[in-house]
Amino acid sequence: MTLEACYAAMGADYSDVLSRLRSERLIQKFVLKFLDDKSFELLSSSLESGSYEEAFRASHTIKGMCQNLSFTTLMHSSSELTEALRNGPTPEVPSLFEKVSADYEMTVSAIRAYQSELGA
Amino acid sequence: MKDKILIVDDSEMNRSILDDMLKDNYEIIEAEDGIAAVKRLKEHVSELALVLLDIVMPEMDGFGVLEAMNQNGWINEVPVIIISAESSSTHIERAYELGATDFIARPFDTLIVRRRVVNTILLYAKQKRLINLVEDQVYEKERQSDLMIDILSHIMEFRNGESGLHILHVRIITDLLLSCLTKKTDRYNLTMADISLISTASALHDIGKIGIDEKILNKPGKLTAEEFAIMKTHSEIGANMISDLPVHRQEQLVKTAYEICRWHHERYDGRGYPDGLKGDEIPISAQVVSLADVYDALTSERVYKPPYSHEAAVKMICGGECGTFNPLLLECLEENAEKFRTSLEKASHEDIKHRKLRSISEETLRDEGGGVSKRTLRLLDRERVRNTFYASMAEAIQFEYSVAPPMLSLSVWGAKKLGLDEIITNPAADKRLDALLGEGSWNKISAAARATTPEKPETKLELLLRIEGSVRWYRIITRSLWSDDAEPEFEGVIGTAMDINDSLLKMQELETKAARDPLTGLLNRASAREQIEMKMLSHPESNFALAIFDIDDFKKANDVYGHMFGDEVIKFISKNLRESIRGSDVSGRFGGEEFLAFLEYKTDIERTFERIHKSICGVYENYDVSVTMGVALSSDMGNDYEKLLHAADSALYFGKRNGKNQVCFYDESMKSLLETDTADN
Repeated sequence: MTLEACYAAMGADYSDVLSRLRSERLIQKFVLKFLDDKSFELLSSSLESGSYEEAFRASHTIKGMCQNLSFTTLMHSSSELTEALRNGPTPEVPSLFEKVSADYEMTVSAIRAYQSELGA
Repeated sequence: MKDKILIVDDSEMNRSILDDMLKDNYEIIEAEDGIAAVKRLKEHVSELALVLLDIVMPEMDGFGVLEAMNQNGWINEVPVIIISAESSSTHIERAYELGATDFIARPFDTLIVRRRVVNTILLYAKQKRLINLVEDQVYEKERQSDLMIDILSHIMEFRNGESGLHILHVRIITDLLLSCLTKKTDRYNLTMADISLISTASALHDIGKIGIDEKILNKPGKLTAEEFAIMKTHSEIGANMISDLPVHRQEQLVKTAYEICRWHHERYDGRGYPDGLKGDEIPISAQVVSLADVYDALTSERVYKPPYSHEAAVKMICGGECGTFNPLLLECLEENAEKFRTSLEKASHEDIKHRKLRSISEETLRDEGGGVSKRTLRLLDRERVRNTFYASMAEAIQFEYSVAPPMLSLSVWGAKKLGLDEIITNPAADKRLDALLGEGSWNKISAAARATTPEKPETKLELLLRIEGSVRWYRIITRSLWSDDAEPEFEGVIGTAMDINDSLLKMQELETKAARDPLTGLLNRASAREQIEMKMLSHPESNFALAIFDIDDFKKANDVYGHMFGDEVIKFISKNLRESIRGSDVSGRFGGEEFLAFLEYKTDIERTFERIHKSICGVYENYDVSVTMGVALSSDMGNDYEKLLHAADSALYFGKRNGKNQVCFYDESMKSLLETDTADN
């Protein structure tokens, strides 16, 4: 699996990220790093405990990382969730979070698949 | 050396991306939230070329960091580029208002990020270089002339046999008069820098006295007409010395010093010397210094006269007793009585220099329209390194507190010693700080600091700190930081905490020593009384006995065997006394051969004193030593020290008359006997 195929699998824009970061090696490094980031766990747990300010920041961080890595799909859903949390939670938060979870899952499993082939 | 860039972002990945883009050309420092950013800024601000700042972060957000940068003046020093994913215009607007230079939107593009960073750094570097140029010149000039003049004036005072304060005083008065004068008139067109220059040069006013014969200079009595004529030449000698300088003749300081030396004995009406200049023909520098010179001579003590008060001096000067002066300057003198008095009392060399340097650099910077220069920051930074070093050597706990954001930072050693973090946000609500200081003590410290004034910003208080399970006394000294505004605002505190536990104990030990008789180690009269009264107060229901006794025929022992022997006998008795009573009883020496014992008892006090009497008496070096004791009981006399003492004394007197070497208890019958005795005498 190539990095480009990995991007395609998660609904992300490879040509965009390549034009900005200009090095496949760098992109690979950051994509793998994305697996270590704890923002999604923080988002889930803070939504569960009702700490919406924290949830806003976590969602915001996810959005920022996705922007930088051109993870288009997850960027859109996390961006919507960020706005829904910005001034306290709106009723849409649960459904938006579901969408973010699904997109996150998709993104992470695509990266894992790519990673396992790297190791092989 | 690579320029340093501080990257502030809570997402490790974002920092990492930027780091990869920039690390080839820059040294990168990272901070994961606003608090960490402020801390890094504090440490590195003078080295930083740029800050890349995220907005949405935990603990303190990017706006908070910008506010802190404004508060500390860092914003003028280091450019800030916002890198937030926030792209709403209100956010960007607010960041720009707070001093951000640029905004890089996400997603990051390597080329754009690099280009923006380079541009911003170059732009700032150029501005900084310009500011540095000006500042360096001012600073260097000031530093050197101050140093030389301090040395010179010290030599002068040494030779003139003056108090050592005259030159300092003249300088302070000159400074005050000039500051006041600029408020009254624009006629002389004086800037802050001019005032500083004249005050500095004023130190040289009497330099010509170096050419006057010491015999005349330090003659105690009145000078003859001839001697006075020689004395008067000192102003010309001084001026010539300066104009003959082989170099630096074009320096403003040298020119000013010339004016002051030559004309500080001119008078406004033209009756002074050496040139008889009149009015504003006399340079303003010389006018001011001549008035300062006269004023300080009047208000200081001299061998031939006491110091006059400010009012008396002003009256004499305005009355023309010391010649005529510029009426504007006389107004300044009259209107500032209080200021003159306090400044002269308080002033030291250091004060003046600091005050001056600060306002000069402020003026320079105002003209330039920039912030503090890199050079100054480098100097401050060196100062900080020095302080940290000294603090670690002295093992002192140093701290710094800023009001906005409310943050307490501790020196590395201090934080370790106290077991606290180096940075404590919102100390008023910090549980660990409370546990250390005791609840509410932090508020007490900060309230005391707030209650100070810019003129007197120090506080000192002593507190018990709980450190590592033990409780020790600490002395906490703080200095409040006030803004330079017309209405000074409280901005924070710097301070130090010292462990004074050991020295406090030492003091107590000294106090104990003072309470004891040096020969015998028994309590002296005053402290024995104190302890006795304390015991009676704390146990009012108990029975007490007070005994006074002295050594029988002690005078004989002294006469026959000498005083050395007498002292040995007294030590012998003291030792016996101490060994025959309990530790909780009070024993004392009243002076001479007279002693005291004070006991709490339950029953059979007669037996007790018989035993004590027996063990006190004995044979010392073949010499029989006996004592006579008078005892009074609180059950008869009440818990009243004076009455007990008087009664015991009467009983002792009775015992002496009754054949010595015995214990005698006071009873009412002695009273009448004593009265007759007194009547007989």
